[in-house]
Amino acid sequence: MIEIHNLTKTFGDFTAVDHLNLTIETNEFMGLLGPNGAGKTTTISMMSTVLLPTEGEILIDGKPLNRKASAEKRKLSVVTQEYSMRQDMTMNEVMEYQGRLYYMRKKEIRAKTAELFEFAGLSKFGHRVVRHLSGGMKRKLMICRALMVEPEILLLDEPTAGMDALARRQMWDLLRSLKERNLTILLTTHFIDEAQALCNRVAFIDGGKFDVVDAPLALIEQLGPFAVDNLDDGKLVSRYFPTREAAIEELKGLPDDAVLRATTLEDVFVERVGHRLTRG
Amino acid sequence: MGIITVLWEKWAEFKRDFYKITVAAMISPLMYLLVFGLGIQTTSHGEPYLNFLIPGIVAMVSMTGSFSAVSQNMSVQRLYEKALDQVMVSPTPLWQFIVGQIVGGALRGMYAVLVILLLVSPIRTSLVFNWVSFLILFLNGTVFSTIAVTLSFLAKSYTDAPRFNTYIIMPMSFLCNTFFSTDQMPHGIKEFVSALPLSQTSDMVRSIAAGGDPTVTGVLILFAYLIVFSAISFMFIYKKKNL
Repeated sequence: MIEIHNLTKTFGDFTAVDHLNLTIETNEFMGLLGPNGAGKTTTISMMSTVLLPTEGEILIDGKPLNRKASAEKRKLSVVTQEYSMRQDMTMNEVMEYQGRLYYMRKKEIRAKTAELFEFAGLSKFGHRVVRHLSGGMKRKLMICRALMVEPEILLLDEPTAGMDALARRQMWDLLRSLKERNLTILLTTHFIDEAQALCNRVAFIDGGKFDVVDAPLALIEQLGPFAVDNLDDGKLVSRYFPTREAAIEELKGLPDDAVLRATTLEDVFVERVGHRLTRG
Repeated sequence: MGIITVLWEKWAEFKRDFYKITVAAMISPLMYLLVFGLGIQTTSHGEPYLNFLIPGIVAMVSMTGSFSAVSQNMSVQRLYEKALDQVMVSPTPLWQFIVGQIVGGALRGMYAVLVILLLVSPIRTSLVFNWVSFLILFLNGTVFSTIAVTLSFLAKSYTDAPRFNTYIIMPMSFLCNTFFSTDQMPHGIKEFVSALPLSQTSDMVRSIAAGGDPTVTGVLILFAYLIVFSAISFMFIYKKKNL
Protein backbone atom coordinates (compact mmCIF):
# COMPACT_ATOMS: atom_id res chain seq x y z
CA MET A 1 0.00 0.00 0.00
CA ILE A 2 1.19 3.52 -0.83
CA GLU A 3 0.26 6.41 1.44
CA ILE A 4 0.98 9.99 0.47
CA HIS A 5 0.68 12.52 3.28
CA ASN A 6 0.75 16.27 2.68
CA LEU A 7 3.21 15.85 -0.18
CA THR A 8 4.51 19.23 -1.33
CA LYS A 9 7.21 20.28 -3.75
CA THR A 10 8.26 23.82 -4.47
CA PHE A 11 10.84 25.13 -6.92
CA GLY A 12 11.64 28.63 -5.72
CA ASP A 13 8.32 30.50 -5.62
CA PHE A 14 6.53 27.92 -7.76
CA THR A 15 4.54 25.19 -6.03
CA ALA A 16 4.48 22.16 -8.34
CA VAL A 17 2.77 19.80 -5.89
CA ASP A 18 0.62 21.23 -3.13
CA HIS A 19 -0.18 19.14 -0.03
CA LEU A 20 -1.32 15.97 -1.81
CA ASN A 21 -2.96 13.23 0.23
CA LEU A 22 -3.70 9.86 -1.34
CA THR A 23 -3.82 6.19 -0.45
CA ILE A 24 -3.33 3.55 -3.12
CA GLU A 25 -4.40 0.11 -1.98
CA THR A 26 -2.45 -3.05 -2.75
CA ASN A 27 -3.24 -4.42 -6.24
CA GLU A 28 -5.04 -1.21 -7.22
CA PHE A 29 -4.53 0.38 -10.66
CA MET A 30 -4.65 4.10 -9.97
CA GLY A 31 -4.61 6.82 -12.62
CA LEU A 32 -3.28 10.32 -12.10
CA LEU A 33 -4.82 12.64 -14.69
CA GLY A 34 -4.05 16.23 -15.35
CA PRO A 35 -3.05 18.77 -17.96
CA ASN A 36 0.61 19.50 -18.74
CA GLY A 37 2.35 21.08 -15.76
CA ALA A 38 -0.26 19.80 -13.31
CA GLY A 39 2.34 18.10 -11.08
CA LYS A 40 2.04 14.48 -12.26
CA THR A 41 5.70 13.91 -13.14
CA THR A 42 6.88 15.80 -10.04
CA THR A 43 4.78 13.44 -7.92
CA ILE A 44 6.25 10.37 -9.64
CA SER A 45 9.77 11.82 -9.31
CA MET A 46 9.27 12.17 -5.56
CA MET A 47 7.97 8.62 -5.40
CA SER A 48 11.11 7.43 -7.16
CA THR A 49 13.25 9.61 -4.79
CA VAL A 50 14.87 11.51 -7.67
CA LEU A 51 13.27 14.60 -6.13
CA LEU A 52 12.97 15.02 -2.38
CA PRO A 53 9.72 16.55 -1.06
CA THR A 54 9.76 20.05 0.38
CA GLU A 55 7.15 18.86 2.87
CA GLY A 56 5.20 15.69 3.61
CA GLU A 57 6.07 12.04 3.20
CA ILE A 58 5.44 8.88 1.22
CA LEU A 59 4.92 5.58 3.02
CA ILE A 60 5.30 2.17 1.43
CA ASP A 61 3.52 -0.46 3.51
CA GLY A 62 3.72 1.93 6.45
CA LYS A 63 7.44 2.69 6.17
CA PRO A 64 8.88 6.02 4.96
CA LEU A 65 10.29 6.06 1.46
CA ASN A 66 13.57 7.94 1.13
CA ARG A 67 16.92 7.53 -0.63
CA LYS A 68 18.27 5.27 2.10
CA ALA A 69 15.18 3.01 2.26
CA SER A 70 16.56 0.08 0.23
CA ALA A 71 13.89 -2.39 1.43
CA GLU A 72 11.07 -0.07 0.32
CA LYS A 73 12.80 0.79 -2.95
CA ARG A 74 13.13 -2.94 -3.64
CA LYS A 75 9.33 -3.08 -3.99
CA LEU A 76 9.23 -0.21 -6.51
CA SER A 77 9.89 0.03 -10.19
CA VAL A 78 9.43 3.07 -12.42
CA VAL A 79 8.79 3.72 -16.08
CA THR A 80 9.68 7.37 -16.50
CA GLN A 81 8.28 9.73 -19.10
CA GLU A 82 11.71 10.25 -20.63
CA TYR A 83 13.80 7.36 -21.91
CA SER A 84 15.88 7.19 -18.76
CA MET A 85 18.56 4.73 -19.73
CA ARG A 86 22.07 4.57 -21.16
CA GLN A 87 21.71 5.26 -24.87
CA ASP A 88 24.97 3.49 -25.71
CA MET A 89 24.00 0.16 -24.10
CA THR A 90 22.38 -2.72 -25.93
CA MET A 91 18.92 -3.84 -24.82
CA ASN A 92 20.47 -6.90 -23.16
CA GLU A 93 22.92 -4.68 -21.28
CA VAL A 94 20.11 -2.39 -20.08
CA MET A 95 18.35 -5.45 -18.65
CA GLU A 96 21.52 -6.84 -17.10
CA TYR A 97 22.32 -3.49 -15.46
CA GLN A 98 18.81 -3.38 -13.99
CA GLY A 99 19.07 -6.95 -12.73
CA ARG A 100 22.42 -6.27 -11.11
CA LEU A 101 21.10 -3.11 -9.41
CA TYR A 102 18.44 -5.34 -7.83
CA TYR A 103 20.94 -8.08 -6.84
CA MET A 104 19.66 -10.67 -9.29
CA ARG A 105 21.84 -13.61 -10.34
CA LYS A 106 23.18 -13.67 -13.88
CA LYS A 107 21.25 -16.83 -14.76
CA GLU A 108 18.05 -15.32 -13.42
CA ILE A 109 18.69 -12.09 -15.37
CA ARG A 110 19.11 -14.03 -18.64
CA ALA A 111 15.96 -16.11 -18.09
CA LYS A 112 13.85 -13.12 -17.10
CA THR A 113 15.15 -11.03 -20.01
CA ALA A 114 14.24 -13.77 -22.50
CA GLU A 115 10.76 -14.13 -20.96
CA LEU A 116 10.03 -10.39 -20.94
CA PHE A 117 11.39 -9.77 -24.44
CA GLU A 118 9.14 -12.58 -25.66
CA PHE A 119 6.19 -11.01 -23.81
CA ALA A 120 6.88 -7.59 -25.37
CA GLY A 121 7.84 -8.85 -28.84
CA LEU A 122 11.44 -7.69 -28.53
CA SER A 123 13.20 -11.07 -28.68
CA LYS A 124 14.99 -10.38 -31.96
CA PHE A 125 16.48 -7.08 -30.83
CA GLY A 126 18.50 -7.93 -27.71
CA HIS A 127 21.80 -6.84 -29.27
CA ARG A 128 20.45 -3.61 -30.69
CA VAL A 129 21.81 -0.41 -29.14
CA VAL A 130 19.17 1.74 -27.39
CA ARG A 131 20.09 4.81 -29.46
CA HIS A 132 18.95 2.97 -32.60
CA LEU A 133 15.53 1.91 -31.29
CA SER A 134 12.20 3.49 -32.25
CA GLY A 135 10.26 5.39 -29.56
CA GLY A 136 7.77 2.53 -29.20
CA MET A 137 10.54 -0.04 -28.73
CA LYS A 138 12.23 2.13 -26.12
CA ARG A 139 8.94 2.36 -24.20
CA LYS A 140 8.52 -1.42 -24.34
CA LEU A 141 12.11 -1.86 -23.19
CA MET A 142 11.43 0.43 -20.24
CA ILE A 143 8.39 -1.64 -19.27
CA CYS A 144 10.46 -4.85 -19.56
CA ARG A 145 13.21 -3.26 -17.45
CA ALA A 146 10.68 -2.25 -14.81
CA LEU A 147 9.11 -5.74 -14.71
CA MET A 148 12.50 -7.46 -14.68
CA VAL A 149 12.74 -7.08 -10.91
CA GLU A 150 9.21 -8.35 -10.17
CA PRO A 151 8.11 -5.21 -8.35
CA GLU A 152 5.11 -5.00 -6.05
CA ILE A 153 4.51 -1.39 -7.07
CA LEU A 154 4.85 -0.03 -10.58
CA LEU A 155 4.95 3.70 -11.31
CA LEU A 156 4.17 4.53 -14.94
CA ASP A 157 4.74 8.11 -16.01
CA GLU A 158 3.06 8.74 -19.38
CA PRO A 159 4.01 5.30 -20.75
CA THR A 160 2.31 5.95 -24.09
CA ALA A 161 3.62 9.48 -24.68
CA GLY A 162 4.78 9.95 -28.26
CA MET A 163 3.28 6.66 -29.48
CA ASP A 164 1.06 6.31 -32.54
CA ALA A 165 -2.49 4.94 -32.14
CA LEU A 166 -1.54 1.34 -32.95
CA ALA A 167 1.45 1.29 -30.62
CA ARG A 168 -0.72 2.81 -27.89
CA ARG A 169 -3.27 0.01 -28.24
CA GLN A 170 -0.48 -2.57 -28.05
CA MET A 171 0.82 -0.86 -24.93
CA TRP A 172 -2.69 -0.94 -23.41
CA ASP A 173 -2.81 -4.71 -23.96
CA LEU A 174 0.54 -4.97 -22.24
CA LEU A 175 -0.63 -2.80 -19.33
CA ARG A 176 -3.88 -4.78 -19.04
CA SER A 177 -1.86 -7.96 -18.71
CA LEU A 178 0.03 -6.30 -15.84
CA LYS A 179 -3.26 -5.95 -13.99
CA GLU A 180 -3.44 -9.71 -13.93
CA ARG A 181 -0.05 -9.88 -12.21
CA ASN A 182 -1.58 -8.31 -9.07
CA LEU A 183 0.67 -5.28 -9.10
CA THR A 184 -0.11 -1.98 -7.44
CA ILE A 185 0.11 0.49 -10.30
CA LEU A 186 0.14 4.28 -10.44
CA LEU A 187 -0.29 5.57 -13.99
CA THR A 188 0.05 9.20 -14.97
CA THR A 189 -1.37 10.15 -18.34
CA HIS A 190 -3.10 12.91 -20.17
CA PHE A 191 -4.85 10.38 -22.41
CA ILE A 192 -8.13 10.18 -20.53
CA ASP A 193 -9.39 7.19 -22.55
CA GLU A 194 -6.30 5.32 -21.41
CA ALA A 195 -7.15 5.90 -17.75
CA GLN A 196 -10.81 4.98 -18.31
CA ALA A 197 -9.81 1.74 -20.02
CA LEU A 198 -7.23 0.67 -17.45
CA CYS A 199 -7.70 2.21 -14.00
CA ASN A 200 -9.76 1.13 -10.99
CA ARG A 201 -9.66 4.68 -9.65
CA VAL A 202 -8.49 8.01 -11.00
CA ALA A 203 -7.35 11.24 -9.40
CA PHE A 204 -7.58 14.54 -11.25
CA ILE A 205 -4.63 16.75 -10.47
CA ASP A 206 -4.44 20.40 -11.42
CA GLY A 207 -2.11 23.11 -10.17
CA GLY A 208 -0.43 20.54 -7.92
CA LYS A 209 -3.68 19.77 -6.07
CA PHE A 210 -6.14 16.88 -6.30
CA ASP A 211 -9.53 17.83 -7.61
CA VAL A 212 -11.31 14.52 -7.17
CA VAL A 213 -10.44 10.87 -6.55
CA ASP A 214 -12.90 8.14 -7.49
CA ALA A 215 -13.62 5.21 -9.83
CA PRO A 216 -14.10 6.26 -13.50
CA LEU A 217 -17.65 4.85 -13.63
CA ALA A 218 -18.62 6.58 -10.38
CA LEU A 219 -17.37 9.90 -11.76
CA ILE A 220 -19.31 9.38 -14.98
CA GLU A 221 -22.39 8.44 -12.97
CA GLN A 222 -22.09 11.62 -10.91
CA LEU A 223 -21.94 13.80 -14.04
CA GLY A 224 -24.66 11.84 -15.82
CA PRO A 225 -24.02 8.78 -18.00
CA PHE A 226 -25.81 10.23 -21.06
CA ALA A 227 -24.54 13.23 -22.96
CA VAL A 228 -26.16 15.41 -25.61
CA ASP A 229 -23.87 17.45 -27.86
CA ASN A 230 -24.86 20.27 -30.15
CA LEU A 231 -23.18 23.21 -31.80
CA ASP A 232 -24.08 26.64 -30.55
CA ASP A 233 -22.50 29.50 -32.55
CA GLY A 234 -19.89 27.06 -33.81
CA LYS A 235 -18.98 26.02 -30.27
CA LEU A 236 -19.61 22.48 -29.01
CA VAL A 237 -21.95 22.42 -26.04
CA SER A 238 -22.45 19.21 -24.02
CA ARG A 239 -25.17 18.53 -21.49
CA TYR A 240 -25.33 15.50 -19.19
CA PHE A 241 -28.33 13.51 -18.01
CA PRO A 242 -28.92 10.78 -15.44
CA THR A 243 -31.20 8.76 -17.75
CA ARG A 244 -31.50 8.03 -21.46
CA GLU A 245 -35.11 9.27 -21.38
CA ALA A 246 -34.08 12.66 -20.02
CA ALA A 247 -31.38 12.94 -22.68
CA ILE A 248 -33.84 12.03 -25.48
CA GLU A 249 -36.28 14.60 -24.14
CA GLU A 250 -33.54 17.26 -24.36
CA LEU A 251 -32.62 16.11 -27.86
CA LYS A 252 -36.15 16.70 -29.14
CA GLY A 253 -35.86 20.44 -28.63
CA LEU A 254 -32.48 20.73 -30.37
CA PRO A 255 -31.46 21.09 -34.05
CA ASP A 256 -30.85 17.97 -36.18
CA ASP A 257 -27.07 18.05 -35.73
CA ALA A 258 -27.42 17.35 -31.99
CA VAL A 259 -26.28 13.86 -30.91
CA LEU A 260 -26.87 11.57 -27.98
CA ARG A 261 -23.90 9.55 -26.70
CA ALA A 262 -22.46 7.89 -23.60
CA THR A 263 -20.60 10.19 -21.22
CA THR A 264 -16.88 9.48 -20.97
CA LEU A 265 -14.24 10.17 -18.36
CA GLU A 266 -12.94 12.85 -20.69
CA ASP A 267 -16.26 14.69 -20.25
CA VAL A 268 -15.81 14.54 -16.49
CA PHE A 269 -12.26 15.81 -16.84
CA VAL A 270 -13.30 18.65 -19.15
CA GLU A 271 -16.15 19.62 -16.84
CA ARG A 272 -14.05 19.60 -13.69
CA VAL A 273 -10.56 20.59 -14.81
CA GLY A 274 -11.02 21.95 -18.34
CA HIS A 275 -13.62 24.56 -17.46
CA ARG A 276 -11.38 25.89 -14.74
CA LEU A 277 -8.46 26.04 -17.16
CA THR A 278 -10.55 27.88 -19.75
CA ARG A 279 -11.62 30.38 -17.13
CA GLY A 280 -7.94 30.73 -16.24
CA MET B 1 27.65 -5.66 -4.53
CA GLY B 2 26.57 -2.23 -5.88
CA ILE B 3 30.24 -1.36 -6.38
CA ILE B 4 30.67 -4.45 -8.57
CA THR B 5 27.56 -3.42 -10.57
CA VAL B 6 29.04 0.00 -11.33
CA LEU B 7 32.39 -1.60 -12.21
CA TRP B 8 30.54 -3.98 -14.55
CA GLU B 9 28.86 -0.97 -16.21
CA LYS B 10 32.25 0.75 -16.58
CA TRP B 11 33.76 -2.47 -17.96
CA ALA B 12 30.94 -2.77 -20.54
CA GLU B 13 31.62 0.83 -21.56
CA PHE B 14 35.37 0.18 -21.72
CA LYS B 15 34.92 -2.87 -23.96
CA ARG B 16 32.53 -0.98 -26.23
CA ASP B 17 34.74 2.11 -26.58
CA PHE B 18 38.13 0.40 -26.22
CA TYR B 19 39.77 2.02 -29.26
CA LYS B 20 38.37 5.49 -28.59
CA ILE B 21 39.42 5.35 -24.92
CA THR B 22 42.90 4.08 -25.77
CA VAL B 23 43.56 6.65 -28.49
CA ALA B 24 42.20 9.48 -26.30
CA ALA B 25 44.51 8.37 -23.47
CA MET B 26 47.52 8.48 -25.80
CA ILE B 27 47.18 11.63 -27.90
CA SER B 28 47.88 14.59 -25.60
CA PRO B 29 50.54 12.92 -23.37
CA LEU B 30 52.29 11.71 -26.49
CA MET B 31 52.28 15.24 -27.91
CA TYR B 32 53.75 16.62 -24.68
CA LEU B 33 56.45 13.96 -24.70
CA LEU B 34 57.33 14.62 -28.32
CA VAL B 35 57.33 18.42 -28.09
CA PHE B 36 58.79 19.02 -24.63
CA GLY B 37 60.79 15.86 -24.15
CA LEU B 38 62.18 14.90 -27.52
CA GLY B 39 61.68 18.07 -29.60
CA ILE B 40 63.09 20.58 -27.11
CA GLN B 41 65.89 18.47 -25.63
CA THR B 42 67.24 20.05 -22.50
CA THR B 43 68.31 19.26 -18.97
CA SER B 44 66.68 19.87 -15.60
CA HIS B 45 68.52 19.76 -12.27
CA GLY B 46 71.55 18.42 -14.17
CA GLU B 47 69.61 15.46 -15.59
CA PRO B 48 67.93 14.86 -18.97
CA TYR B 49 64.61 16.70 -18.98
CA LEU B 50 62.82 13.45 -19.88
CA ASN B 51 63.66 12.13 -16.39
CA PHE B 52 61.65 15.05 -15.00
CA LEU B 53 58.94 15.04 -17.63
CA ILE B 54 57.94 11.36 -17.80
CA PRO B 55 56.89 10.98 -14.11
CA GLY B 56 55.02 14.30 -14.40
CA ILE B 57 53.15 13.16 -17.49
CA VAL B 58 52.35 9.78 -15.92
CA ALA B 59 50.87 11.57 -12.88
CA MET B 60 48.95 13.94 -15.15
CA VAL B 61 47.53 11.05 -17.17
CA SER B 62 46.24 9.34 -14.00
CA MET B 63 44.41 12.60 -13.28
CA THR B 64 42.95 13.22 -16.75
CA GLY B 65 42.06 9.55 -17.33
CA SER B 66 40.17 9.26 -14.04
CA PHE B 67 38.49 12.64 -14.24
CA SER B 68 37.25 12.30 -17.80
CA ALA B 69 36.03 8.72 -17.23
CA VAL B 70 33.64 10.00 -14.57
CA SER B 71 32.77 13.64 -15.25
CA GLN B 72 31.41 13.41 -18.78
CA ASN B 73 29.70 10.10 -18.11
CA MET B 74 27.99 11.15 -14.87
CA SER B 75 26.87 14.52 -16.22
CA VAL B 76 25.34 12.94 -19.32
CA GLN B 77 23.69 10.19 -17.24
CA ARG B 78 22.22 12.69 -14.79
CA LEU B 79 21.18 15.51 -17.08
CA TYR B 80 20.74 14.14 -20.60
CA GLU B 81 20.06 10.40 -20.50
CA LYS B 82 18.44 10.54 -17.03
CA ALA B 83 19.97 7.10 -16.52
CA LEU B 84 20.81 8.07 -12.93
CA ASP B 85 17.07 7.78 -12.18
CA GLN B 86 17.42 4.01 -12.70
CA VAL B 87 20.04 3.91 -9.94
CA MET B 88 18.18 6.29 -7.61
CA VAL B 89 15.04 4.16 -7.54
CA SER B 90 16.90 0.85 -7.19
CA PRO B 91 17.68 -0.75 -3.81
CA THR B 92 21.44 -0.46 -4.43
CA PRO B 93 22.79 1.76 -1.63
CA LEU B 94 23.76 5.06 -3.19
CA TRP B 95 27.11 5.23 -1.36
CA GLN B 96 28.06 2.03 -3.22
CA PHE B 97 27.20 3.71 -6.51
CA ILE B 98 29.53 6.62 -5.63
CA VAL B 99 32.35 4.31 -4.50
CA GLY B 100 31.91 2.30 -7.73
CA GLN B 101 32.28 5.49 -9.77
CA ILE B 102 35.40 6.48 -7.82
CA VAL B 103 37.09 3.07 -8.14
CA GLY B 104 36.00 2.67 -11.77
CA GLY B 105 37.36 6.12 -12.63
CA ALA B 106 40.67 5.42 -10.87
CA LEU B 107 41.00 2.12 -12.77
CA ARG B 108 40.47 3.96 -16.07
CA GLY B 109 43.19 6.38 -14.97
CA MET B 110 45.48 3.41 -14.29
CA TYR B 111 44.76 2.05 -17.75
CA ALA B 112 45.83 5.40 -19.25
CA VAL B 113 49.00 5.24 -17.10
CA LEU B 114 49.83 1.76 -18.41
CA VAL B 115 49.32 2.92 -22.01
CA ILE B 116 51.78 5.80 -21.49
CA LEU B 117 54.33 3.62 -19.69
CA LEU B 118 54.16 1.23 -22.61
CA LEU B 119 54.70 4.09 -25.04
CA VAL B 120 57.74 5.47 -23.19
CA SER B 121 59.24 2.03 -22.56
CA PRO B 122 61.54 2.24 -25.66
CA ILE B 123 63.06 5.48 -24.28
CA ARG B 124 66.16 4.62 -22.26
CA THR B 125 65.93 6.21 -18.83
CA SER B 126 66.88 5.19 -15.31
CA LEU B 127 63.34 5.80 -14.04
CA VAL B 128 61.73 3.29 -11.68
CA PHE B 129 57.98 2.63 -11.56
CA ASN B 130 57.07 0.12 -8.88
CA TRP B 131 53.99 -0.93 -6.90
CA VAL B 132 54.38 2.08 -4.59
CA SER B 133 54.20 4.48 -7.53
CA PHE B 134 51.15 2.59 -8.83
CA LEU B 135 49.48 2.90 -5.42
CA ILE B 136 50.14 6.65 -5.38
CA LEU B 137 48.81 6.97 -8.94
CA PHE B 138 45.71 4.95 -8.03
CA LEU B 139 45.14 7.18 -5.01
CA ASN B 140 45.49 10.23 -7.26
CA GLY B 141 42.95 8.66 -9.63
CA THR B 142 40.45 8.20 -6.78
CA VAL B 143 40.90 11.85 -5.78
CA PHE B 144 40.12 13.12 -9.28
CA SER B 145 37.25 10.66 -9.81
CA THR B 146 35.73 11.96 -6.57
CA ILE B 147 36.18 15.57 -7.71
CA ALA B 148 34.51 14.58 -11.00
CA VAL B 149 31.54 13.02 -9.15
CA THR B 150 31.14 16.17 -7.05
CA LEU B 151 31.29 18.46 -10.07
CA SER B 152 28.84 16.31 -12.03
CA PHE B 153 26.26 16.94 -9.29
CA LEU B 154 26.89 20.68 -9.65
CA ALA B 155 26.59 20.63 -13.46
CA LYS B 156 23.49 22.41 -14.72
CA SER B 157 23.84 21.20 -18.31
CA TYR B 158 25.90 18.45 -19.87
CA THR B 159 28.06 21.04 -21.60
CA ASP B 160 29.38 21.97 -18.14
CA ALA B 161 31.61 18.84 -18.08
CA PRO B 162 34.04 20.17 -20.73
CA ARG B 163 34.02 23.54 -18.91
CA PHE B 164 35.12 21.92 -15.67
CA ASN B 165 37.91 20.34 -17.67
CA THR B 166 39.00 23.77 -18.91
CA TYR B 167 38.75 25.48 -15.52
CA ILE B 168 40.28 22.77 -13.34
CA ILE B 169 42.09 20.00 -15.18
CA MET B 170 43.93 22.01 -17.83
CA PRO B 171 45.46 24.58 -15.41
CA MET B 172 46.52 21.75 -13.07
CA SER B 173 48.07 19.85 -15.99
CA PHE B 174 50.35 22.76 -16.75
CA LEU B 175 51.05 24.16 -13.30
CA CYS B 176 51.24 21.20 -10.93
CA ASN B 177 54.79 19.93 -11.21
CA THR B 178 54.26 18.31 -14.61
CA PHE B 179 56.49 20.34 -16.93
CA PHE B 180 58.45 22.40 -14.40
CA SER B 181 59.02 22.33 -10.67
CA THR B 182 56.73 24.37 -8.41
CA ASP B 183 59.97 25.53 -6.69
CA GLN B 184 60.36 28.02 -9.53
CA MET B 185 57.05 29.73 -8.76
CA PRO B 186 56.69 33.03 -6.88
CA HIS B 187 56.09 32.89 -3.12
CA GLY B 188 52.40 32.48 -2.30
CA ILE B 189 51.47 30.89 -5.63
CA LYS B 190 54.08 28.20 -4.99
CA GLU B 191 52.51 27.18 -1.65
CA PHE B 192 49.01 27.15 -3.16
CA VAL B 193 49.97 25.08 -6.22
CA SER B 194 52.09 22.70 -4.09
CA ALA B 195 49.05 21.88 -1.96
CA LEU B 196 47.07 20.72 -5.02
CA PRO B 197 46.77 16.93 -5.41
CA LEU B 198 48.53 16.66 -8.78
CA SER B 199 51.59 18.55 -7.49
CA GLN B 200 51.90 16.08 -4.64
CA THR B 201 51.41 13.07 -6.90
CA SER B 202 53.95 14.28 -9.47
CA ASP B 203 56.43 14.97 -6.70
CA MET B 204 56.01 11.52 -5.13
CA VAL B 205 56.03 9.60 -8.42
CA ARG B 206 59.15 11.53 -9.47
CA SER B 207 60.83 10.80 -6.15
CA ILE B 208 60.06 7.05 -6.43
CA ALA B 209 61.21 7.05 -10.07
CA ALA B 210 64.55 8.45 -8.91
CA GLY B 211 64.90 5.71 -6.28
CA GLY B 212 63.42 7.69 -3.35
CA ASP B 213 60.25 7.34 -1.26
CA PRO B 214 56.87 9.05 -1.22
CA THR B 215 56.31 11.61 1.52
CA VAL B 216 53.86 11.06 4.36
CA THR B 217 52.63 14.64 3.89
CA GLY B 218 51.92 13.97 0.21
CA VAL B 219 49.90 10.83 0.98
CA LEU B 220 47.99 12.62 3.75
CA ILE B 221 47.14 15.52 1.42
CA LEU B 222 45.76 13.10 -1.18
CA PHE B 223 43.70 11.31 1.48
CA ALA B 224 42.41 14.66 2.75
CA TYR B 225 41.14 15.55 -0.74
CA LEU B 226 39.62 12.09 -1.12
CA ILE B 227 37.77 12.30 2.20
CA VAL B 228 36.50 15.86 1.69
CA PHE B 229 35.21 15.31 -1.86
CA SER B 230 33.76 11.88 -1.01
CA ALA B 231 31.83 13.47 1.87
CA ILE B 232 30.50 16.16 -0.49
CA SER B 233 29.51 13.50 -3.07
CA PHE B 234 27.67 11.44 -0.44
CA MET B 235 25.92 14.55 0.83
CA PHE B 236 24.80 15.44 -2.70
CA ILE B 237 23.43 12.02 -3.58
CA TYR B 238 21.56 11.61 -0.29
CA LYS B 239 20.51 15.19 0.44
CA LYS B 240 20.33 17.15 -2.83
CA LYS B 241 16.64 17.99 -3.25
CA ASN B 242 16.56 17.95 -7.06
CA LEU B 243 18.93 15.50 -8.72
